[in-house]
Amino acid sequence: MQERWAAYSSRSLFVWLAAVPIVAGVSYALLYSLGLIGIMAEGLTLVHWQEVLTDTAFWRTLGFSLFVAAVSILLSLLLALALVLRAPQAFTRGTLSFFIYLPLSIPAIVMAFFIFQLLGKGGWLSRLSYQLGLISALEQFPDWVNDNYGIGIIVAHVIMATPFFTIFFANLYQNERLGEYLQLAATLGAKKRQRIFRVAVPVLLRRGLATVFLYFMFVMGSYEIPLLVGSQSVQMVSVRTIQRLQRYNLGDIPEAYAISVAYTVMVVILLGGLLWYNRKQMGRA
Amino acid sequence: MSRLTKIVLIGLILFPFAFLLMLSLGRQWPYPVLLPEQWSLSNWQVVLGGSEGLGNSVLLSVLLSLSVATLSTGLSFWVSRHIAYHPKREAWLSLAYFPYVFAPVILAACLQFFFIVGGLYGTFGGVLLAQLFITFPYGVIFFSSFWNERLRSMEELVKTLGGSTRQAYAKVLVPVAKGALMTCFFQLFLISWFEYGLTNLIGVGKVPTLTLRVFQYVNEANVFLAALASCLLIMPPVILLWLNRQVVFQERNI
Repeated sequence: MQERWAAYSSRSLFVWLAAVPIVAGVSYALLYSLGLIGIMAEGLTLVHWQEVLTDTAFWRTLGFSLFVAAVSILLSLLLALALVLRAPQAFTRGTLSFFIYLPLSIPAIVMAFFIFQLLGKGGWLSRLSYQLGLISALEQFPDWVNDNYGIGIIVAHVIMATPFFTIFFANLYQNERLGEYLQLAATLGAKKRQRIFRVAVPVLLRRGLATVFLYFMFVMGSYEIPLLVGSQSVQMVSVRTIQRLQRYNLGDIPEAYAISVAYTVMVVILLGGLLWYNRKQMGRA
Repeated sequence: MSRLTKIVLIGLILFPFAFLLMLSLGRQWPYPVLLPEQWSLSNWQVVLGGSEGLGNSVLLSVLLSLSVATLSTGLSFWVSRHIAYHPKREAWLSLAYFPYVFAPVILAACLQFFFIVGGLYGTFGGVLLAQLFITFPYGVIFFSSFWNERLRSMEELVKTLGGSTRQAYAKVLVPVAKGALMTCFFQLFLISWFEYGLTNLIGVGKVPTLTLRVFQYVNEANVFLAALASCLLIMPPVILLWLNRQVVFQERNI
């Protein structure tokens, strides 16, 4: 009896803490965006959705978030794979196995501040360029922070993601006994290039797909880094949503909630795609 | 990997830490000099003196993160056991992934109304509850792979020998899970320690954790105090990493 009560109450708690906030949040945002609740509510209307979906700035925001996440993840993967495949043991034992964890102790807000002080017009690299005679005035230093291409955001995410993927792939290399596979491929006459691109990279990427995808979602929804080093004209989803919510114009609030719901739908579709792909792969295996 | 490559990599890894420490010790840094013109411990004395309220922010952040990590670890350990042994385990577990559909800051934006109605807006309790929404499902996912048939048999053995559920937890499950509980606790502590967007939105700036302080100093263009607050934010995770390395090193030696 006591055990049954414990099971019931623990699962209820789980629903209340994990599912209810999300359902409540999405429902509230959806109802608000449809004009059914809120200070400006005037009854069911699709006008806010129409405004959001026909606004090129919204699509640019979504596209920019996807672009930043894709470039950041691609660069981090390239760097991490290059490091791990060059020296697979270096990151699981020895000095580097400790040091490679250090960048993970830097929070996003601190990384954003660091990038601002490093890449900004008055930052350390600009000063170094001046001292080396590469530039003769502060204005000549390129716009790497608060720029329209998201260079600062991408660099920050690459610095954060590369150590993470290096640790992840180094452990995967060990757990999947990739060294033995590569030796077998060499015995069968595979050249170094074939061993890397036909064996190592496909195995590591296929096994790590879910983690890579989740990190992609994390970058796409990131807030602190684009807030500090991003541009005001091309914003990422989280920054645009929060800025619209915090403006004095009450008319912007339903649109902000519509963006939240649209973003959630997009993430759910992407997650659904990942689950579908994973099942297909498992079915093949 | 050659010795030189290793040194270069370690140098690159340590650069952000050295850079932030340099700024936290600096006072005058006009363009285009590379290093601050004046060095002083006065910024660090601000923390000890408590004049900027930074000391209070450190205490507040520690208290918040410890509370979130303790509550989430304990609750998720208890709940995950009942989820793991449920016949529809996978369906239940998929609920734990729900919060990750949202970015935390967007989740906070959508839940603001409920926190205002509940009187939790701008309070320590409100921020704690909001952080539980992210950390608790993570804990459940973390522990879901921990429960297995062997543990269930051990639990049943305790009951066969006349022990209660409480005794099974105290004498068997918790001691066996000590390592996993510690790892989960540290990870949840860090999630809470690093959190900015959600804390800012639900706390409305009235719960000034260290992450909020960094942002405040950046906005005030106070580079040196922002660097100092950054160093304070980085320190606990680095200490945890070092402690973890010491434990692993000792275990290897045993």
